[in-house]
Amino acid sequence: MIPETLSSKLFSAIGIGVALVSPGDLTLRLVNPTFSQWFKGVSIGDPLADVLDEGALQRLKDGLASDEPFTMDVAGKAGRRTIDIEVTVRQARHDDEAMVLLECQNISRLRQTEAMIDSYAAMVERKERELEREKVQAEKLLLNLMPRSVYEEYRAYGSVMPRLYEPVSVLMIDFVGFTDMAVAADPTVTVSELNDIYTAFDRIAELYGCERIKTLGDAYLAVAGLPHPNPDHVRAAAQCAVKMIRFLKRRNETHPHTWRARIGVATGPVVGSVVGVQKYVYDVFGPAVNQAARLQQCSEPMEITVPKEFASELIDDFSLDKVRTETLRGFGDVQVARLKERRTQPASRSFEMLS
Amino acid sequence: MNEIAMAAPSGTSMFSKYGGFAAVRGLVMDFYDRVLDSEIVGHHFDNVDMRRLVDHQTRFIAGLMGGPAELDEGRLARAHRHLGISGEEFEEIVDLLSQTLSAGGVAESDCDSVIETVERFRHDIVTERRP
Repeated sequence: MIPETLSSKLFSAIGIGVALVSPGDLTLRLVNPTFSQWFKGVSIGDPLADVLDEGALQRLKDGLASDEPFTMDVAGKAGRRTIDIEVTVRQARHDDEAMVLLECQNISRLRQTEAMIDSYAAMVERKERELEREKVQAEKLLLNLMPRSVYEEYRAYGSVMPRLYEPVSVLMIDFVGFTDMAVAADPTVTVSELNDIYTAFDRIAELYGCERIKTLGDAYLAVAGLPHPNPDHVRAAAQCAVKMIRFLKRRNETHPHTWRARIGVATGPVVGSVVGVQKYVYDVFGPAVNQAARLQQCSEPMEITVPKEFASELIDDFSLDKVRTETLRGFGDVQVARLKERRTQPASRSFEMLS
Repeated sequence: MNEIAMAAPSGTSMFSKYGGFAAVRGLVMDFYDRVLDSEIVGHHFDNVDMRRLVDHQTRFIAGLMGGPAELDEGRLARAHRHLGISGEEFEEIVDLLSQTLSAGGVAESDCDSVIETVERFRHDIVTERRP
């Protein structure tokens, strides 16, 4: 049994506010100093209306309709500060008299902590969105270096296995007299013009299902049938090539600087892989790449050179002429032809030229 | 927009050095109490929404320590322009912040660099003209 004096001292000293209220007239029958301090210094005999505002008083009355304890949040004062108080309301009996017991706890700290967590969470979420944006930027950069499926593999495993793609068509473009060109005198003009042209080439390549692999100075290399196999890769590369030449012709008509390209298209297997560790690039290797480069060298300016056997695949949409035998380094004597866009000639006539 | 993020000399932010949010949490709450109880500046906060003030102080402290928030001079200036803050009040805040950091176990050199950062905002915050 706790001694009488101790319990009354305890009642005065505890950090929670306690009050007893008579349920009939709702006046305070007992308050401890903490309660009094939080609620405008009220004392015994004061009406509960001095403590609670109208809304809170109504909620209390509504709550008392049931016998269950309930809680409500109200505002109080600690010194100059407004504090958040949680009031637990219980119905009790004292000496056979019905009483309402109010137990008040200062939950300001809890509310402040909640506010702080919210604030911090908002900060972190904002940072996360920024990171996400940066990630997208980095991804975009990497996607410029390699095909998406290769990038996915790189992201998942941290490396890329060299893979054989077979067969594909390789398109090699090189500009005529690039180093001697008038614009070469001003490198910034050259680069900005080259950028224009490559951007257009990229769009054309994308349109015809070709993947630009790399550019090296004035050389541009694209592949059809990689990374996704395409049975129509020869036609895709041929269409891409003629559209690129057409684009250059149109561009030359309106621009002061004339850009003339040679194109070679060859077909065969290539191996695609990421090479390098820190400064990695995606590249393709194989005889088709070399042959496309040699064929491009055989072209006259603004011409496309392809192996003669392309005729069977391309005869419906293209015409091949200037059939001849060229000696290609590493390939020996190869029958080659000039690829041209079919305009109006019937298929039979262009085929006659070949036979 | 001029943003300042503090970094400790080692390259990692003070924020991570002292244990991230877990450490800053205590500093924010302590600073909040000191500011509200201050005889000199407390009255500015009598009718300020608690959530807004806590939000502001969380960002302020996290920002000062190189956490995931940036201190924006323009924003600070806009927020304080109409309050007519005096030099004495500004010094009181600096003093309270310094006490908070010391009590929170922040090393003296880090404390100094935080205060140095705050001092840079003086002209954005103190708007009261001397009579």
